[in-house]
Amino acid sequence: MQSKTKQWIHRLAMVLLCLFFLSCYSVKLVSVNGIPNPDPNNDSDNGYRNQRVIVLDTIVKAGSTTDVISIRTQREGCESGKLHSVEYKNTFGGSLLYLITFGSKRKVRIKYVCNKIEN
Amino acid sequence: MATTTNFQKTEWDTLHRNGPFSLKLLQVTELEGKANMPSSVDRYNDAAQEIQRLIKEAHTNGHGFRPFGSRWSMSNIAHHRDRMHFNSFMNIDLTVLPSDVQANSDYDPSNLFFFQCGNTIKEISLALGAHGKSLKTSGASNGQTIAGCISTGVHGSALDVGSVQDYVVGLNLIIGPNDADIIYLERKTKPALSDAFTQKIKARVIRDDALFNAVLVGLGSFGFVHGVLIEAEDRFLLKRYVRKIDKKTALKLADTMDFKNSNFKIEGETDANGKPKRPYHYKVFINQYVDDDQYVVEAMYKKPYKTPYPDPFTAIEKSIYRDLIYLLISISEKFPKAIPWFIKRLEKSILPDVNEETVGTLFETFWDAPYQGPAFACSFGVDHKNSSKALKLLTDLTVNEGPIPGIFAMRFAKQSEATMAFTKFPITCVIEIDGVLWQKSNKLIGLKEFSTRMIEVLQQHNIPFTIHWGKNADWGFPGLVDHMYGTHANTWKTLRENLLSKEMAALFSNDFLKTIALSDNVLTPIGDGVIAPIV
Repeated sequence: MQSKTKQWIHRLAMVLLCLFFLSCYSVKLVSVNGIPNPDPNNDSDNGYRNQRVIVLDTIVKAGSTTDVISIRTQREGCESGKLHSVEYKNTFGGSLLYLITFGSKRKVRIKYVCNKIEN
Repeated sequence: MATTTNFQKTEWDTLHRNGPFSLKLLQVTELEGKANMPSSVDRYNDAAQEIQRLIKEAHTNGHGFRPFGSRWSMSNIAHHRDRMHFNSFMNIDLTVLPSDVQANSDYDPSNLFFFQCGNTIKEISLALGAHGKSLKTSGASNGQTIAGCISTGVHGSALDVGSVQDYVVGLNLIIGPNDADIIYLERKTKPALSDAFTQKIKARVIRDDALFNAVLVGLGSFGFVHGVLIEAEDRFLLKRYVRKIDKKTALKLADTMDFKNSNFKIEGETDANGKPKRPYHYKVFINQYVDDDQYVVEAMYKKPYKTPYPDPFTAIEKSIYRDLIYLLISISEKFPKAIPWFIKRLEKSILPDVNEETVGTLFETFWDAPYQGPAFACSFGVDHKNSSKALKLLTDLTVNEGPIPGIFAMRFAKQSEATMAFTKFPITCVIEIDGVLWQKSNKLIGLKEFSTRMIEVLQQHNIPFTIHWGKNADWGFPGLVDHMYGTHANTWKTLRENLLSKEMAALFSNDFLKTIALSDNVLTPIGDGVIAPIV
């Protein structure tokens, strides 16, 4: 009996692991004519190297009637106010949070790069 | 006023992590806002003053000073151990009016455009596009700054066009902290700008062919390249074809450039007699680890610009997990024999799709290159007549003494007039191997040793060659620059000494220049024994 339970726990863990990986993905929208805002201090290896990237990683509380959550570009690091690229990341934890709170808590994980200032 | 922010950094690295290199100070200059200083000329001159202030400050502190842009170079050409200046925010473009062009100039004023150093190829392409114009050629992508491109000799594969520096008409240099140190330089035989323009940018004018050609590929060492006057042309389209063709045909084309009498024929790209047309661009991809009797080639033909044309961009693009690449490299370091197998598996991601056809402007065709992680690239220039011979030597070396995680390609560019252009042959075949940076192990040759062996093999077989200034190489190889450029190297050094004061020559020298022995003092006069005067 005990070994059967163990087997099920093991299987469940595997399924959850699979779900975790499958539900964690990124989609990035890139402007064809945009020039990424440069940042010589960004030495990261995450695909944004040399770019001024703004990360928004938060949980937004929403009412049951809330449909769309709008986010505006910030001034610091985005002086042009124009977007070059936006990456949205979906995670298993984010989806789970949305489900168990019936949509009242929404995990937002966005990375965006603004356009370089035109002189 | 333009403002400069100082960052006390101890390290600097290239975009593709070919360092790190030591550093004392990183400086970033941002221009005065348009709202406070509406005139572009005023903001341009204001930036020049700020650069002069930084040069003076570096000199006072006994430091060297070197500007850099997008840090795409993989060699340490852009590095200075003292002060490095990030100039990417210096991206003004100044309008050139017909009255700004000399009456006796051969240039069509509507094709002349003046850009500040930090403008990238993409920014310039967009600006030109708004006037119905285009660059004549670019590199394989568009993120480099114009000053970086010309200083290192960025090229594409335009057989009859050349490299980026070959459409530069004039240069605005800052060679020191004094008023007379702001210079506008152009060829005496091809004058372009009138006093009306040069007075606006407060520049002392020098018209000298030899000096202009030396500064053109100046390796970042002829002062601060502040502005670049380029000649554009009417916007055009490129029809791009990817084909898999017989290896012998692909190599014969490389050796002869005789497209007309070749059996490489693309439907619709033939002349009135049914003979194949000469393409604008020709590139050959070679996976040296596969004994295939066919190569993937890319050919592009120039077409007049007309709309509509199909969208050249793929709406959805997928990329491989970067961690997967790192994992493969780690495995390769322990089991090098796996490299050819990995490359074969990744071929679809590395090579373009066979039978792919697109139409687009130059800018759309050579679009953004996403950052792919630590990378290396070795790039040799040989006379195209030696293409297949050199390629065989280098690929055999890679197979026999490697393997290493990269694959070869061949591109072609017309001869440059620049004294130190690595595209020095009538048509230079650029044989390049690009790939993922790896660590030397007891089973796997290191990049340094591999680079040395490439030079040795070409020398042993008496194949004259050059090396791309911005790529990985054994730059300290004894007598390398003399071997590649002979008397041209001496001419370049002499002209540099004539233009710069001793203090400024030291300030604008760096480790790279010392390694290749171009910062040495030269006592030998150029040409017929007379050192050309600067007028």
